[in-house]
Amino acid sequence: MKPISLSQGSGGRQSQRLVGAILEATGTKPDLPLEDCALLGEGLAMTIDGYTVSPLTFPGGHIGKLAVCGTVNDLACRGARPLFLALSIIAEEGFDENELLGYLGDAAGICSRIGLRIVTGDTKVVPKGQLDGLILTTCGIGKSTRAAPLGIPSIQEGDSLLLTGPIGLHGATIAALRYGLESEGLVSDCAPLWETIEPLLAFDGLRAMRDCTRGGLATVLCEWAEASGLGMEIDESAVLVPSPVASVCDLLGFDPFHLACEGCMLLAVSPEETRPVLEALRASRYGKDAAIIGIVTENHPGWVTLNTRFGGSRILDMPVGEILPRIC
Amino acid sequence: MCLAVPHTLVEITGPCTAIGRAGTIEVEIRTDLIENASPGDRVLVHAGFAIERLQPEEASEIEALWEEIRALSGAVQHD
Amino acid sequence: MIDLHRERVLAAAAALRRLVDRPLKFMEVCGTHTVSIYRSGLRALFPEGLSLISGPGCPVCVTAQEEIDSLLRLSEMKDIILATYGDMLRVPGSSTSLAEARAHGASVRVVLSAADALRLARETPNRTVVFAGVGFETTAPATAAVILQASRENVRNFAVLNLHKTVPAVLETLGADPELSLDGFLLPGHVSTILGLTPYLPLPEKHGLACVVAGFEPDQIMAGIALLVLQKKRGIPAVQSAYPEAVRPTGNRQAKRLLETVFEEADSIWRGLGKIPRSGLKLQEAFSAYDARVRFGISDLPAREPAGCRCGDVLAGRIQPFGCPLFANRCTPETPVGPCMVSSEGSCSAAYRYGRGDRF
Repeated sequence: MKPISLSQGSGGRQSQRLVGAILEATGTKPDLPLEDCALLGEGLAMTIDGYTVSPLTFPGGHIGKLAVCGTVNDLACRGARPLFLALSIIAEEGFDENELLGYLGDAAGICSRIGLRIVTGDTKVVPKGQLDGLILTTCGIGKSTRAAPLGIPSIQEGDSLLLTGPIGLHGATIAALRYGLESEGLVSDCAPLWETIEPLLAFDGLRAMRDCTRGGLATVLCEWAEASGLGMEIDESAVLVPSPVASVCDLLGFDPFHLACEGCMLLAVSPEETRPVLEALRASRYGKDAAIIGIVTENHPGWVTLNTRFGGSRILDMPVGEILPRIC
Repeated sequence: MCLAVPHTLVEITGPCTAIGRAGTIEVEIRTDLIENASPGDRVLVHAGFAIERLQPEEASEIEALWEEIRALSGAVQHD
Repeated sequence: MIDLHRERVLAAAAALRRLVDRPLKFMEVCGTHTVSIYRSGLRALFPEGLSLISGPGCPVCVTAQEEIDSLLRLSEMKDIILATYGDMLRVPGSSTSLAEARAHGASVRVVLSAADALRLARETPNRTVVFAGVGFETTAPATAAVILQASRENVRNFAVLNLHKTVPAVLETLGADPELSLDGFLLPGHVSTILGLTPYLPLPEKHGLACVVAGFEPDQIMAGIALLVLQKKRGIPAVQSAYPEAVRPTGNRQAKRLLETVFEEADSIWRGLGKIPRSGLKLQEAFSAYDARVRFGISDLPAREPAGCRCGDVLAGRIQPFGCPLFANRCTPETPVGPCMVSSEGSCSAAYRYGRGDRF
């Protein structure tokens, strides 16, 4: 018996190990490096995600919104227009049907606004106590018309690293709820980013994109550095951490670079097209606070370094397992 | 060993409890370790307990220390 | 716009470059200092010759293996809810950790405050809440306050596994160690908030060690280090405070009174250092109803540290994390062998998460 620990679901290295074990056990040989969304050939893209957020609603959204936005964003990262969605619902016996329909109604609203069709689904109910309320799983299919594939192999030395907005909002919102803190102005950044990303696809210099979900910005940067064999150098002062996020981090001893974002993407862009991509982002609804946060470098291959706001420097690493509050 | 965050006391809610504000968060904290807790007090909070009042008057002492350090750094003083 | 903190840090860095003209070796005692120094990237600003080594300032790390095992045995007992600060959750005992015990069905709850542990006891009358009382003098007064409250309110289903240790005695042990040959200590800011400055006086007076109490912001730390270097250069070792906002020379009287009411001084075993006289706290007999060891008949059983683990040497400052053969290969944050790698304030954890870039 080898009990799976909670840490292995938190993103970061412990999850990587579990994923590695699963790939081996299933004899799956995915295209490496691993991405959240697979390119299937002929421009088709496919992604799947399970949503187990607790609590189910939070300032800025709920599990339904989270599920749709997460899938839309995973497809968008590969340059694929979200087209079709399959939705699996597993509810605990006794769950309020009206609450479920509320989540799904909102989710459907987001889908229809961006032209994403819910084409099939499945619903199950399990006896009380067998799961905590509700689990949603969404499988999305999209189509990309872009010739140059978006992904880690396209990242090059000298590329700029851009963030589409502030970090830590979703993770801090959930943490505040979990630990009974009320942080004024704290709202999840959960948002569907297809319309923000679509105009950027015309830029050939757009190399790769990833939404900074579980494990936060640090996890994406580390995965890119390790998989590409390049270095990433980040300017701490350029990364926007909103005050309500900073307050939660201060009180719980968290690092904002490790907190999930659900409406923020990291982009790698060629030096020549950095400015126009930045301007295009800032003109979009969810990219107003877009900023250049760093650069891809040949120095320290495989590592991410942070130039701190105090004039020093250090490496940036992924969180390990469940992010826990500390008093020491 | 000692992560502690400055809070401003917003309201005294009991003989050993108060609401403290740190940045954008208001949270219940214990005041067992400080005497005569009052609204407006600026305190250091560690593991949910205020461990001391912060003394702003000390700021001039600190500034004098930094003047000495700047002088030692050879930094050019701007007016 | 000039960032005052950044300007101060860089001014202090420039001052240190001018002042440090021979090798100087200081020990920072507080894990929170270790992490703050690393996270702010200050190490990149230290001049050649200035060596800052981490000491036993991580209360989780210095808790002896046998004490961790006692905590784990309690967590597995029927009808007990183990309430703990998050810091303890992944610390490996001889066979398991609280996180693993939880995966196997133990009731383990992370709390942000000892007060939350007592509240939990009131909310779960059919179970006993045992609170893991870990930490130094900054944290022990909160445990004392909550034990007093439990006693006053006659809360029966609450107990504390006392693991609290105290700092001044271990500093004397390290300060007197000729192999370490320290020039001084960067003293813990918030332990000093409680204790004041007097308990450290033997360090300069008996051992000629420079001592400065520093706060935790990067500029406060740099000021502390600058003062240490100045003390050495001027040949006047003393106990100085660079943290007057939070530290009164006589400490926090109220907190010290609470400690004296509930606890008494005791010998304590520190990982890597063995038994140090008068370096810990134990619950007074009047409060034995709240002492988990007494209530549940727990005594610390001899435990062996994992093979090859050098946490003790790291904690005592004999080696740096990079000097441990297991560091970053067999021992990593996701597969920790010893507590220095798993605690958020452990020297090895900090070196791994922030400091491997020192090699670039």
